[in-house]
Amino acid sequence: MDIRNSDIRQRVNMREIYRYLGYGTSTPDETVRAMTEEVLDSLTGVVKPRNIYNIYHCSTSETEVMLKDSQNPERVLSFKSRNLSYNLKQCNEVILFAATLGLEADKLMQKYEILNMTKATITQACGAASIEAYCNILQERICDEASSDGEKRYLRPRFSPGYGDLPLQYQRTIFNELQCTKRIGLTLTDSLLMYPTKSVTAFIGLTSNPQSCHIDKCKNCNNIGCEFRNES
Amino acid sequence: MNHKNIRELLGKQILFFDGGMGTLLQNRGLQTGEIPETWNILHPEVIRQIHKEYLLAGSNMVSANTFGVNAFKCKNLPYTVEELISAGIRLTKEAIAEVRTEYDHPMYSTLDIGSIGKLLKPLGEISFDEAYNTFKEIVIAGDKAGADLILIETVSDSYEIKAAVLAAKENSNLPVIVTMIFDENGKLLTGGDVASVTAMLEGLGVDAIGFNCGLGPEQMKNLLPQLTKCCSVPIVINPNAGLPVVVDGQTVFNVDPDEFAESVKTLVEMGASVVGGCCGTTPAHIQKVTALCGKMDIVPVTDKNLTVVSSYNHAVYFTRKPLIIGERINPTGKSKFKQALREHDMEYIYKEGLTQEENGAHILDVNVGLPEIDEPQLMEEAVTGIQAIIDLPLQIDTSDTEAMERGLRYYNGKPMLNSVNGKAESMESVFPIAKKYGAVLVCLCLDEGGIPETVEGRLKVAEKIVNTAARYGIPKKNLVMDALVLTISTGQDNANITLETLRRIRYEMGLHTVLGVSNISFGLPERSRINTAFFTMAMNNGLSAGIVNPSSEPMMAAYYSFNALIGEDEQCMEYIMKCSQAQDKPKEAAAPKKSDLTLDEAIIKGLSESAYAATIKLLEQNTDSLTIINEKLIPALDVVGKGFEEKKMFLPQLLMSADAAKASFEAIKATLSKQGKNSESKGKIVIATVKGDIHDIGKNIVKTLLENYGFDMIDLGKDVDPELILKTVQEQNIKLVGLSALMTTTVVNMEETIKLLRENGVNCKVMVGGAVLTQEYADMIGADFYSKDAMGSVRYANDLHDKGEL
Repeated sequence: MDIRNSDIRQRVNMREIYRYLGYGTSTPDETVRAMTEEVLDSLTGVVKPRNIYNIYHCSTSETEVMLKDSQNPERVLSFKSRNLSYNLKQCNEVILFAATLGLEADKLMQKYEILNMTKATITQACGAASIEAYCNILQERICDEASSDGEKRYLRPRFSPGYGDLPLQYQRTIFNELQCTKRIGLTLTDSLLMYPTKSVTAFIGLTSNPQSCHIDKCKNCNNIGCEFRNES
Repeated sequence: MNHKNIRELLGKQILFFDGGMGTLLQNRGLQTGEIPETWNILHPEVIRQIHKEYLLAGSNMVSANTFGVNAFKCKNLPYTVEELISAGIRLTKEAIAEVRTEYDHPMYSTLDIGSIGKLLKPLGEISFDEAYNTFKEIVIAGDKAGADLILIETVSDSYEIKAAVLAAKENSNLPVIVTMIFDENGKLLTGGDVASVTAMLEGLGVDAIGFNCGLGPEQMKNLLPQLTKCCSVPIVINPNAGLPVVVDGQTVFNVDPDEFAESVKTLVEMGASVVGGCCGTTPAHIQKVTALCGKMDIVPVTDKNLTVVSSYNHAVYFTRKPLIIGERINPTGKSKFKQALREHDMEYIYKEGLTQEENGAHILDVNVGLPEIDEPQLMEEAVTGIQAIIDLPLQIDTSDTEAMERGLRYYNGKPMLNSVNGKAESMESVFPIAKKYGAVLVCLCLDEGGIPETVEGRLKVAEKIVNTAARYGIPKKNLVMDALVLTISTGQDNANITLETLRRIRYEMGLHTVLGVSNISFGLPERSRINTAFFTMAMNNGLSAGIVNPSSEPMMAAYYSFNALIGEDEQCMEYIMKCSQAQDKPKEAAAPKKSDLTLDEAIIKGLSESAYAATIKLLEQNTDSLTIINEKLIPALDVVGKGFEEKKMFLPQLLMSADAAKASFEAIKATLSKQGKNSESKGKIVIATVKGDIHDIGKNIVKTLLENYGFDMIDLGKDVDPELILKTVQEQNIKLVGLSALMTTTVVNMEETIKLLRENGVNCKVMVGGAVLTQEYADMIGADFYSKDAMGSVRYANDLHDKGEL
């Protein structure tokens, strides 16, 4: 799915960036605001976002999620996780997807770490907010496309390996299934982290049950002590 | 028996690869999550059958089912790399033997090598050497099993490709073919383009180059002209059966065999001489292709005769329009640069590079030679560090052959090498290295007899170099002649000799040229006047590339004017743009210099230029540097630090102040070094992001702040092995270690590191930090201090220092 960089730029939530920079709910001064806009412009100017996804039929038990290949029903992916299963409970379909801003974001950070540490830190925050914005646009477009058969679908919150009790090991399964390295240049380290660093892999449930909770998932998270928790 | 080695057929007649494997295996029962290569051992009959189907369809090269085999993948499998590879090759050979009884055409067993699936350092996880060794193991196994050729395919990172090609060529004599995935714009996933990787691969001496996967035949038609334009070796095209289409949520390829074959036919007409298929293609596709194209004549492969260097992301050609080679990364005559090299201050080198890039250089010369340093090691570090952040091709500049080899080996692209000369000894040692890595070589027109004083003398040396290079297999297009510049202050005719030599090399011998321009004015006042005039004259006499300082405005003005005058600047656009940029500049620069801010104000406000200016002012008033640091700089930083802890100021402001303080330090350091002194250190601290973790911004923030407070930081980077931390601590008698980890999954490695330090009885404190850490957790893993933010570590280090423990 093609998404323009300018769309990402527009969708980025500035408040998120300030929150990542430790401002909580307060607003930075003029200088920092201007610097953030500038960095965000150069970041969204250079990145080459890419994505890859498939949609599966989904069935859940209390402890397990089963995804079935719609073309080849013999092929089944299974994920053992109560939290994921709960998240996808009402979903007949699940999007499995991977998205990345590409290496350009990492290169820009590396460059700023030498030239200007403030900008490097702001780039980090802008990168996090940009990949988030990219995923948000993407999932909505995929959802619209899936709804083109006449039946309106709604999105469940994105759920990634490492959330709750869903082991990070499933990154390997997702990488194999979506061929992330070949298709979008995403690589997985032995410790199961991703390069380029500004990347996301996730399950997104599709349901015909109207709900609008797919963004701002802080309130659903167990990590109450998190520095960046957003209760608003 | 095959009558011929495949090298004799490549580029002489049309040849066919096979098609896809993955989907065929899925249709024959490969389960989700199952590794296809294990079928070489578990279901050999299925694999052999697929090979046979392709051979009967007319394929000349069958790719063994070895695409995904590598040491990383085999860690989780019950088979070794060698077992899977030798089984894979054996199956192709068995299939060939069986088919030969009924259908005799040239058939070759191909060792199929794919990407390791890891990103290379410095941005990524594994080193170039690790990648090389991973490929080496595969190549040795494949060669031993009797493969006829090596196909490196579906790769998209030029650096990884270089490691694979070197592994193939250094560990076998097999022909090597490389096919890469490009997107529709002709870019690799890591940013390279068709011209840049083609330059690199031809330099490395691969036998054929091409595209596979990613695109269908129709899209490859759009891309192929980019390759035919620059490629001097046979071209291979293995497209997917169309672009991936999502049907019912699943990705499929749906160009049918007839349509596929028609498109491939056009690709052959356009210049491809080896064709086959990739994802979604089947024996039926290949059957149609061989039937339709089997009798076709191929477009003859010709030498494009281009003099080209490349970086990881673009190629730079030597043409009529001259190039700028930035000369600033070089310690000669620069005391600050020498000091940076001695102190291993890589940041200084990188900044020199970034400035030249910004000022319009096309290629950067990299010289890091000083008698007292380990030049090969530093060359490797400089090359890998620079290419991670700068897009320009590099010119490795050294007379140390080991430094040459290291620089060229770890370079991501087709490099330039400075230099060889006409001495037999120089040519014997440099030519083999230049040939191996495909470098464009700078050749100095001097030999055992010194620098010839006449034009004829220099041309004779140039000819000798060209002829000797040819014996090493180095073509003229990879030689760039330096006509040599001697100052006119010692010889009135020196410029004339150089210019005439230049002209004749360029227009009579037909070689490209280079000059270290500024030597012309050595010993004269107002050197830039002479330099600029000479530069223009040289360009007008056939100079292809000037080694100059791109930050010199008069030189660059001469350069842009020249291009406009010879009609190499369309509508004078570049000239006009540069003029308007130059006009904007002085305004910016003027403001901060007159700043009235005091040093503490400047630091609190985070204004680097004002802080620098204020420090200079204080130094000029003879304020002692220690007084500046202790009474102005540190108290100002404390104000900001306190504001940060009280949440009145925030991280960006803290860092802006840190950057301002750094600027102030630079002013102090420059003054001290003029007086022959060094700045004092409050003690050494080792800092690292632990093994397995790749997030290092937090660690870098802490490092910046601690540096400001006068600590000597030894930054071991990210994903750091506990052993390396222990070794550093022991060797340098370190009293404080800072560890960072961002993920719950990597905090265990923090614990491991602390354990290792304790077990070895090292007497040092450990402070820890990172998003998922808490005081409780820090206590549990045995850390001495938990820092909840960057200022915490400053407080702790200062405390230790005050107590005399650091």
